[in-house]
Amino acid sequence: MQEITTYLAPRRLDEALQAMADGAATVLCGGTDLAPQTESGARQYTAKLLNIRRIEGLGGIETKGDKVRIGAVTTISEIRCNPMLAEIAPVLVEAAEHFASEQIRNAASVGGNLCNASPAGDMIPPLLILDASVELACWREGAVQTRLIPLEGFFVSPGKTVKRPEELLTAVVFDRPAADFVGKFRKSGPRPALEISTVSVALGACIADGRLSNVRVAMGSVAPTPLRARHVEAALEGKPLDAATWAATIAVAVAATAEDAKPIDDVRASAWYRGHLVRVFVEEVLNEVRGN
Amino acid sequence: MEKNVTVSPIAKSTLIGQRVKKPDAPDKATGKTRYINDMVLPQMLIGKVLFAGRPHARIVRIDTSAAEKLPGVYAVLTGKDAAGLKFGFVRDNVALKDKVRCEHDEIAAVAAETEEIASRALELIKVEYEDLPGVFTPEAGALVGAPLVHDNFPGNKSLHFEFKHGDLAAAEAASDCVVDSVFRPHHVTHCCMGTSCAIADFDHNGKLTIWTQTQYPYNYKMDLAPALGLNPGDIRVMQPPVGGAFGSKLDVYPYEPIAALLARKTGRPVKVIYSREEEFKAAPTRQAAIIHMRTGCTRDGVLTFRSADVLLDNGAYTSWGPTIPVIMMRTTSGHYRVPVVDFKAQAIYTNNPYAGSFRGYGNVQTTYATAQQMDMLADMVDLDPLEFHLKNAQISGEVTPQKSFLRECALVECLETAAAASDYSRKRKAYAAARDKPGRYKKGIGLASSIHNAGGAKIHKSDGIGTILKVDDYARVTVITGASEIGQGIDAVITLIVAEELGVPVEHVTIVNNDSDIAPWDVGVHASRTTFIAGNGTRRAAQKAKAQILSAAAKMLNEPAGTLELRGGFVVRDTCGTPLIELDRLLRRMHFQNVPELVMVTDYYEPNSEPEGAKHISDHSAAYSHAVHIAEITVDTLTGEIKVDKVTVAQDVGRVINRMGLEGQIEGGIAIGLGYALSENMRIEKGMLRNPCFRDYKLITAPEMPPLDMHFIESNCAEGPYGAKGISELPTIVIAPAIANALYNATGVRIFNPPMSPETVARAIFEARQAGK
Amino acid sequence: MKSVETEIRFKLNGREVCLTVPVTMKTLTMLRDKLGMTGTKYACGEGECGACTIKLDGQTVNSCLMYAVDCDGRELVTIEGLRTPEGLNPMQQAFVDHGAIQCGFCMPGMIMQADTLVENNPNLTREEAQRGLEGNLCRCTGYTKVLDAVDAVVEAKKCCGRC
Repeated sequence: MQEITTYLAPRRLDEALQAMADGAATVLCGGTDLAPQTESGARQYTAKLLNIRRIEGLGGIETKGDKVRIGAVTTISEIRCNPMLAEIAPVLVEAAEHFASEQIRNAASVGGNLCNASPAGDMIPPLLILDASVELACWREGAVQTRLIPLEGFFVSPGKTVKRPEELLTAVVFDRPAADFVGKFRKSGPRPALEISTVSVALGACIADGRLSNVRVAMGSVAPTPLRARHVEAALEGKPLDAATWAATIAVAVAATAEDAKPIDDVRASAWYRGHLVRVFVEEVLNEVRGN
Repeated sequence: MEKNVTVSPIAKSTLIGQRVKKPDAPDKATGKTRYINDMVLPQMLIGKVLFAGRPHARIVRIDTSAAEKLPGVYAVLTGKDAAGLKFGFVRDNVALKDKVRCEHDEIAAVAAETEEIASRALELIKVEYEDLPGVFTPEAGALVGAPLVHDNFPGNKSLHFEFKHGDLAAAEAASDCVVDSVFRPHHVTHCCMGTSCAIADFDHNGKLTIWTQTQYPYNYKMDLAPALGLNPGDIRVMQPPVGGAFGSKLDVYPYEPIAALLARKTGRPVKVIYSREEEFKAAPTRQAAIIHMRTGCTRDGVLTFRSADVLLDNGAYTSWGPTIPVIMMRTTSGHYRVPVVDFKAQAIYTNNPYAGSFRGYGNVQTTYATAQQMDMLADMVDLDPLEFHLKNAQISGEVTPQKSFLRECALVECLETAAAASDYSRKRKAYAAARDKPGRYKKGIGLASSIHNAGGAKIHKSDGIGTILKVDDYARVTVITGASEIGQGIDAVITLIVAEELGVPVEHVTIVNNDSDIAPWDVGVHASRTTFIAGNGTRRAAQKAKAQILSAAAKMLNEPAGTLELRGGFVVRDTCGTPLIELDRLLRRMHFQNVPELVMVTDYYEPNSEPEGAKHISDHSAAYSHAVHIAEITVDTLTGEIKVDKVTVAQDVGRVINRMGLEGQIEGGIAIGLGYALSENMRIEKGMLRNPCFRDYKLITAPEMPPLDMHFIESNCAEGPYGAKGISELPTIVIAPAIANALYNATGVRIFNPPMSPETVARAIFEARQAGK
Repeated sequence: MKSVETEIRFKLNGREVCLTVPVTMKTLTMLRDKLGMTGTKYACGEGECGACTIKLDGQTVNSCLMYAVDCDGRELVTIEGLRTPEGLNPMQQAFVDHGAIQCGFCMPGMIMQADTLVENNPNLTREEAQRGLEGNLCRCTGYTKVLDAVDAVVEAKKCCGRC
């Protein structure tokens, strides 16, 4: 078992990234995932424990032009209570609203939720339909280097992402959604409160001239990583909202879920139930988007 | 008249039925209460247990040498240190095992300076196992040639129970309708918020003091002693405040003798405390069962017979779980007027976790079956279930086939009250009519009831309680009682009764009930008995003290005997309430007179019930009670989620003693029953628990708790204190089948294998629709 | 698990505290084992039950998940800190008066959460209270009397505001 020999709580990003440069730091933010995972042995500490919560500029929600930027250490509560997000990306606020308990929301960070890379990560499907990217920073050649990775390409498998050990997720960014963009999120668990999603579905689309366009559908807990449901999206792109064809549109989209969702049996739900819920939720969010 | 008494007359008043606060609540609300989990003793070591983590295996070898050498480790024990120290009803358990029979079998234990060192030491213990084929269902365990869990229990047979009454074949022939179904109540566990904990310490005379969470301190000594090779008399049981019990602490479990063995070995106090994961794996469960039940009736809706063939998953050891047929058969034979009864139950050893007692004890499982079959039969004979229930409901004075004497029976009143309050019959019809109409969300209403012992259950030789009561020179009362407080609120009941009898404020009553060397004997907190039994014991002791005080007062004040009363801290004239002397002044006079007199009385109360007996034909409780629940639900037919909108409760409580405590017991009992009905489920696969955490084992939370409309029916039990009956198990027992019946009303679907989880319900509805197409 | 230790300073129930903790130690362990503040309870260690709820800079968190090092420079309030010189604070008193406490083990966390909910939203509805308490498990009470107590505190505060 690794002994922790160094603890750092830097105030500056460059200090943190230099400390991470050897790829041997365990990043601590809210601790809501790190604490139970290290207690249970699911995850091991490395020699260095790096607390990023004090780094200046790593928190906060801001817009610059068309870009929305949410700093990595922003808590789920901050997202939930942010009036600007409530206006421009209510789907994100809604997901934050249904995230675990208030005590967890007050501590858990959005960056942590993404890096934890759980197939059930609650903030992920709504960010996927906002076509968000994550900003990864590292220290290289004497300077802070950053790269942007589309969130869809960020996840590799449960707990694994493309982030390199020397990189720190510093922010999640997305384009301010178009005025005619509507996003909806639905999740379920065996009980309403404090659930781990059995499955979740988010759907976003622009609605113009009575048609769906730029359709984005994301799903959680139906595969090793949260995913964009490309087959469902294709089935919906350009589809009209008129009453005559709507039932058929739903049927096609629901049928397409089988191509995207490949759920498994586990202790929380069977593959059958997950597949069933995906079909139910896709229909539900489609009706909500249309009703909007 | 005492010249300086100037108080105006004190009118008669009563505390019975009022709202009295729990005396321990302020300290609990401020974090001041020191629970056993919080206790630290000087020199105390931490004990930790190595669990097998496999369901069935031979221990080939075990090497503890590295652990013993670790600095800070004081003792390492293995099976050889407990060899021969068998305990349990059938002496099939031992604190540390020489063979693995279930996942949480205790293989070794260490005592160390800190928890960290103890954990490290466990990692250094090397055990070589040879895994054995296991049995993981009672059906598999009962097969000829099945692997044996215990070599000395052939056929894996554990306990067996039977009760027959009347001619079954004739009753079947006389039945126009018979329902025949198999129910599979599942494994759930108590989830006490305070995890299991014991602290043991030996003195140099060889006497053990053990701080435990036990809810039966006196028989506990008898049960713990063989696990340590001690005389029960050499065990002192201390009961600090506990974080819940619910039946889980009604037996000895291995961590307790392990703490004692470690303490004996090290000569220091040793504390063993479970993590939540250990608690899920190693604490007892509710008994899982397979109940094949048949109930018949005539076309007029009169019950003709009920039969139950029960197979119990005993698990690896025999605790209270497989004894639940004692109550299962009372429900089978006594839930409504059943003229012919055929009950049998067989427990089969498996390599699964094993069950203890759990609030509702066997009746939760049985009522899930009987109450649904009542609903099914009503449907078959086309009667409103309310009418069907009323037709078969017992009334006061009836005796069940097992000779439970229903002296004061309020079943009819419970049924009528709950049905009227909830508008049951109208809603049931309307919802059934809407069942096959389009629409995703369906409403349903369901009625269920049950019967339960409400005055203890004489399964031991005595069901009594000892009480010592003293009143000091300041009119402060101390009640030294065998009754344990585990959160249920007997403390408030005792203070209320003493205040009622002696006319003192509830705040002037102190309870001593946490030390077996001081308090007298009691069976324990179980069987909905404590308010009934300890209430009677307290009342009788208080009345003895009162008689002594009033007799002394009459003499001193030259008042005629029998004309005085205690009210508001004074001796008063009963008729007019005129205060004659302050109680404390009188007590001092009694104490310091020429022939001194101190007020200290004792009482042993034995209820008028009969021992259970091997044939199970006896009036085993001093009272029986009924409750009716009517659940109103909304079902999402696509996701299978059930939202409980409202529960109407009508329960025969005999008489309300502490209204606030009574409400709290019913609300809390229903919450446990709701979890059982809807979400809680231990997922045990091949003997291994897959969800040992609250993340995956779902307790009911605040948003899911429905509003309750509670109606207390006061049947005035002649034997109960002030007419009260025991109340706390029925709420847990009745709610699940009420929801199941509501689910049927809403969707036409029945769930025989609880919990009615969203997935189970969604699949049942989906399959019913597929079949209907 | 060995780990380096570090010194932290913070305010606990209004008093300055300075101590050295292993960097992996959780706040719950620090409170109970290092500071003897046993009012805050362990019941799951995974943030699922809320028994360890404390207030941190005015917001509630699960102290079992929170690293003690993260207390540095911050302000903590535990159940022991709610008590006022006059005695129990209004939420504690309401829990006592309404019979919300049975075994009481979950109550320190429950009261911390309830108190903070009302502090942050004086017009808290019963539904909002139910949602706000979803991270606090109780096995005894069925939550009904807990919600009654919270309602009573909200009502009492409204009344005081008017008069």
